[in-house]
Amino acid sequence: MPYLEIRKLEKKYKDFTLSASFGVDEGEFLCVIGPSGSGKSTLLSLIAGLDKPDGGTVTIDGKDITKMKIQERGIGMVFQDFTLFPSMNVEKNIQFGMTEKKAEKKKISDALLSLVGLEGYAKRSVSSLSGGEAQRVQLARAIAAKPKILLLDEPLSALDAPLRKSIRSSIRAIHDALGITMIYVTHDREEAFSISDSILIMHDGKTVAMGTAEELYRHPKDLFTAFFTGEGTALPAHLVFENMEGSVFFRPENAVISEESISAEMYPMHVVFPDAEIISCEFCGSDYILGLEYQGYPLLCQSATKPRRKTVSVMILKESILNLQ
Amino acid sequence: MKRNRATFYTLNALPGILILVVLFLIPLFFTFSYAFHDNGKALVEIFKDEYTYRLLVFTLEEALLSALISTLIAIPLASFFSKYTFPLRRTVLTLSGLSFTIPSILVVLGFVIWYGNNGLLNAFLMKITGRDYTTLQILYSFKAIILAHVYLNFPIAFLLITNAWTEMPDTPEKAAYTLGAGRARTFIHVTLPRLTPAVLSAFILIFLFCFSSFSIILVLGGNPAYSTFETEIYRRVNINVNREEAAALSIFAFFITSVMLIITSRGRKNQRATRKEKTLEKAKGKTLVVAFLLILLILLFILPPMLSIIYRAFYTKAGDFTLRAWNDIAKGSTGLMSTAMSGIINSFLIALLSSLLSVYFGSRIALASAKRNSRILPVISSMPMATGSVTLGLGFSFLAATVGHDSIYFSYILVIAAHLTIILPFAVRTITPGAKMIPDSLAAASYTLGVSAFRTMRKVEKPILSPYKRKAFAFAFALSLGEVNATLTLSDGHVSTLPILIYRMISSYNYQGAAALGTLLLAEALIVFAIGEGGRKHAIS
Repeated sequence: MPYLEIRKLEKKYKDFTLSASFGVDEGEFLCVIGPSGSGKSTLLSLIAGLDKPDGGTVTIDGKDITKMKIQERGIGMVFQDFTLFPSMNVEKNIQFGMTEKKAEKKKISDALLSLVGLEGYAKRSVSSLSGGEAQRVQLARAIAAKPKILLLDEPLSALDAPLRKSIRSSIRAIHDALGITMIYVTHDREEAFSISDSILIMHDGKTVAMGTAEELYRHPKDLFTAFFTGEGTALPAHLVFENMEGSVFFRPENAVISEESISAEMYPMHVVFPDAEIISCEFCGSDYILGLEYQGYPLLCQSATKPRRKTVSVMILKESILNLQ
Repeated sequence: MKRNRATFYTLNALPGILILVVLFLIPLFFTFSYAFHDNGKALVEIFKDEYTYRLLVFTLEEALLSALISTLIAIPLASFFSKYTFPLRRTVLTLSGLSFTIPSILVVLGFVIWYGNNGLLNAFLMKITGRDYTTLQILYSFKAIILAHVYLNFPIAFLLITNAWTEMPDTPEKAAYTLGAGRARTFIHVTLPRLTPAVLSAFILIFLFCFSSFSIILVLGGNPAYSTFETEIYRRVNINVNREEAAALSIFAFFITSVMLIITSRGRKNQRATRKEKTLEKAKGKTLVVAFLLILLILLFILPPMLSIIYRAFYTKAGDFTLRAWNDIAKGSTGLMSTAMSGIINSFLIALLSSLLSVYFGSRIALASAKRNSRILPVISSMPMATGSVTLGLGFSFLAATVGHDSIYFSYILVIAAHLTIILPFAVRTITPGAKMIPDSLAAASYTLGVSAFRTMRKVEKPILSPYKRKAFAFAFALSLGEVNATLTLSDGHVSTLPILIYRMISSYNYQGAAALGTLLLAEALIVFAIGEGGRKHAIS
């Protein structure tokens, strides 16, 4: 039985219904990803008790906490917004949810400040902190209250890219050091791939897929998951395989181009699209992403070199092609 | 869970709401019962009487004209002050905020001493022109009323519009210029529509202030032809001694003010604060000269009446230095001066108690109103504004007459109750924007740390409100300190406060005594203003 179990959790709004079922193991780092408005933050609010569900249950370690008060759930949360208390300094913020004696509080808050890389910040006013520092203090404050599970609601979305990279690594390191169960909401696929043990994908209020980053990228179960986890091409299946229904999907790195004219008979392990026209060519550092058009359909391919011709042949390894709905 | 939180804030505000409703309903009930006495004969007569409608027309006329002139003068000045930065800019804007705390009786006194036929300005003009007759005849006329209203309210419009204009980023204007639009076209089509809410808000505020103006009309109008509802109700109670008619007129005025409050509150929208203020240009050369000329003009308009109060407190009309008025206050000599010291103490204690209570209850009502996103709470807390302070005073005096209690302590309680009813809506209005700025996520963060709702309110939310509470306290204290309308109608001599003593001294032409007390009132208003301006805000980014 998972440590945190969400069973048929439901919340109905006027134009939106959230329904979720999944489980998280103790000490796991789960990332929840999905487009804006897919219900990620609502899901966290329901787990934390900030919102009341219309149905379903939330259990931690076998104990139903669905109707429990927020304060009694033992679920900590780091918010996207600046939620440090402006009337308290950094240290007082961290100690606010602690129940230890004064001397002990001081020891723990100093240790936590050091853990989040903010030694010497104890007496600083929270209004003097940068965005990244504020989020680190929020994290320390949430951990100080000793939660069973820590929820992080897009904590880095307001920060710039290099800072996000550095703080997300710190968060993962803290997770590994403390072994705390974390649920991390983000809309950034790369962020989720880099720090998670597993990923839950949400779409239109539903949990559509769950698995490791590799599983979801290499073997998506549907087109939404396929496109949300990376770039690729979807074509009507009958265009590629006779008698096949639905769509076929392949990643750009599985499509190879040839500037020489080739025939399908020469490459029986591949699907060949001859005479595809190059529409765009984007340099991505290590290689090029090519946008092509074949019989009116757009294709994405990856190439190590910049093509010289306007028309090329595209070869896709058959076993890398997925049949999705 | 959200519902639980809303209930918590409502329960917390409930005592304040109950007190407000009871304090509002009691005087209203007694006023209604007097108005409907004898089958509502007085009420029918008031509705039939042509004079009632003349009162309405005059009240609307003076309020509209005062608000219009104040706003029209403020706009060009605000345009300059929101574009350039120069020395003394901040000081002038801070000084403008004083208008919120200066009691109107001080404007009356300042005007009498400065603009009066025998006032300092005329004495100065007679000296430089060599004439032996009065050059300027301003007082005791319609123009005196408008001038005093503009004097008191133009700085408010100037401050509100300048602040709104400074906070408005000027990128849309720059975009309009790049599209080839000229300054005039850009102002009309781009700037003005964005500025309209601030201009309208200032206009409405001044209009409502002037609609319930009392001492300025009573003294500076100097003629029963210049009567508003407030002054007429007072006259009918204290001069004609016709309580039924006064009550009936109160009901009529209450009806009109309620309609106006509903209309004006519909037009107002909450504006979202923008973080990106525009960068002000540094004034140089000719612009700097213009800036200093404008400052000089503003100061020449604002300062002389107030400074003349201080001057007159120490100098006789002939210009000789004297401490007679101060000695009279200290000794408690005969006449009105005998009650001066008790007036000073009364004013201070009544203002202190009522403003402390108003901030205590007001902050709770404001928090509940913001957390519930309530529409009904702002309406409930604005109700006393619709009644008008003379009507409230009248209602409380009816209560005193009905109870038949003649104790001085009972009179004090009634005055404090009347002041609380008048200032509580202002306290709520001052604190509510602060309460609305507290994001829900702050409380949510606290709850997820295992902290109770009560401790969250006390330790997290209330400290954020403190600058607003300090401002509300200063505002409420100043309003109570300067309150004349209700106190005069209600106590009629039982409880003497500083403004009432000043009013009586002006009426008995004891300008020196009035100026000495006025100086004390001005000093108190300045201290309170400094308290309101002081302290730093807890930033919420």
